[in-house]
Amino acid sequence: MITVRDVTKVFPGGVVALDGFSLDVCRGEVLVIIGPSGSGKSTFLRCLNGLDAIDSGTIIIDGVALDKNEANRLAIRREVGMVFQSFNLFPHLNVEENINLAQQLVQKKKLAEATASTHALLTRVGLLNKANRYPDELSGGQQQRVAIARALALHPKVMLFDEATSALDPEMIGEVLDVMRDLAAEGMTMLVVTHEMGFAREVSDRVVFMDHGRVVEEAASKDFFTKPLHDRTRDFLSQIL
Amino acid sequence: MQVKPATVSLFDALLLLLLGGIAVFIGYRVAVQLNYQWNWGAIPQFLFRYDAQSGRWVTNYLTQGLLTTLRLSLWASILALFFGFAVALARISKSLYLRLLAGTYVELMRNLPPLVIIFLFYYFLADQLLPFTGSGRINAETHPLLAAVSALFFAPPAQLTPFLSALVTLAVFEAAYVAEIIRAGIESIHKGQWEACHALGLSRWQSLRHVIIPQAMRRVLPPLTGQLVSLIKDSSIVSVIAIQDLTYQGTQLMASTYLTFEVWLTVAALYLVLTFPCSYLVERLNRRVNRLV
Ligand SMILES: Nc1ncnc2c1ncn2[C@@H]1O[C@H](COP(=O)(O)OP(=O)(O)OP(=O)(O)O)[C@@H](O)[C@H]1O
Ligand SMILES: [Mg+2]
Repeated sequence: MITVRDVTKVFPGGVVALDGFSLDVCRGEVLVIIGPSGSGKSTFLRCLNGLDAIDSGTIIIDGVALDKNEANRLAIRREVGMVFQSFNLFPHLNVEENINLAQQLVQKKKLAEATASTHALLTRVGLLNKANRYPDELSGGQQQRVAIARALALHPKVMLFDEATSALDPEMIGEVLDVMRDLAAEGMTMLVVTHEMGFAREVSDRVVFMDHGRVVEEAASKDFFTKPLHDRTRDFLSQIL
Repeated sequence: MQVKPATVSLFDALLLLLLGGIAVFIGYRVAVQLNYQWNWGAIPQFLFRYDAQSGRWVTNYLTQGLLTTLRLSLWASILALFFGFAVALARISKSLYLRLLAGTYVELMRNLPPLVIIFLFYYFLADQLLPFTGSGRINAETHPLLAAVSALFFAPPAQLTPFLSALVTLAVFEAAYVAEIIRAGIESIHKGQWEACHALGLSRWQSLRHVIIPQAMRRVLPPLTGQLVSLIKDSSIVSVIAIQDLTYQGTQLMASTYLTFEVWLTVAALYLVLTFPCSYLVERLNRRVNRLV
């Protein structure tokens, strides 16, 4: 489904955020990516949907290469959904309009058609009663659930979550993780950067530990926490667990 | 925001006394030193006069000047808004060529004295460009309807060509400031909004049109309205090219009546009639936007 080979990303100023990064993800797999701050987790997700351009290496998503070809890049953007730490809902649009927008502009759906699928999505994340509210009238947890619904509206083949629960108050983390858990159960391919080790252990199929822009260790999640191979992984786990 | 209690402190009282003293002093100097004879009674006839021939009250110099300033400001604002918007888009465009072109234009306009721009543009436009538009050929005999429309919305046919040149000049000058305001508004939108658009597969233009610009417009409405007030004030410089606006009428009246202070105080009051409502609007908009954003 996703093939990443020797990807390098150097930011202006010489920071090497990804340094020969390689990874394969299967269809329907839920992958959790962990690593210390500045290890390149966000950069990796951003490169996957073209928000940041890679300097070398190859990324292939569902048979389409993310290269200089504008049509390919656009195709990938539309097939990869992304959920941000800071939600990034459109504040001037209400919940329904937030979710409708890309359906109307990208999928060229009629308003009624878009609204119908928006309502179905809102039901799925338990927020149908908030359809006419504006983002600033919602709690953080509710906003993030709307953001997930908005990304799902384009029927992406892959969903990227970059610390989707890090900006939330503790009591709201659960409701967002529940939505993500349902999504995983439905067979969505998911790449999740998170500090929620409980989620990683329960929901994910595989855990990748990265540092300095490289994969240090990857293992099935049931093994990862019980039998980490590398010292660095052990150090990191002992710090956060 | 908390409402301050309206009490007068000792400092306020002293300040008021000082200001009152200055006013009295100026009045005294004008009256005694300049031996100035106030004659306010002569002013109203320059606002409206009774036309014996038609038996009606008609507008006179000052009111006509006010109307000219109003027309000029109105059309120039609209033009400046559209042009400024286009320049702002060029300033943030992906094309280096467009960015450089728009950047040069903005820097030129902002670093030249408006008077110089007026002269340069006026003589170039009036001589070289506008004859092609045929605006000089309209007159009351051949095109009565066109002439009437022109007199109502722009200027009497005889003054149409200079009026249009002044209009374009003013718009081109103000558009540079409008462009900067709009550009700053667009750039003030958090980059997370762009990223969300990108992740949803929106094109750059779709992102601008549906997400970025609607948010930016809310933020720039107050400074944009403020620029409109500036435009009304700046429009007074066109009096140097014989556009018969409020300031021009003021200079003419002063020269013929010698009622210096009466004329200019009246002109000042008339400008305030135009600008105060706009300033009030800015105030209101600021309050609303602060609540929204
Ligand atoms: N736009 C940028 N310009 C320059 N350097 C950047 C930029 N974005 C990220 N970096 C650098 O790239 C490196 C990797 O950053 P990245 O955000 O991917 O880390 P991260 O693993 O997501 O960290 P965190 O857990 O703190 O979110 C860091 O050293 C960071 O300073
Ligand atoms: Mg990060």
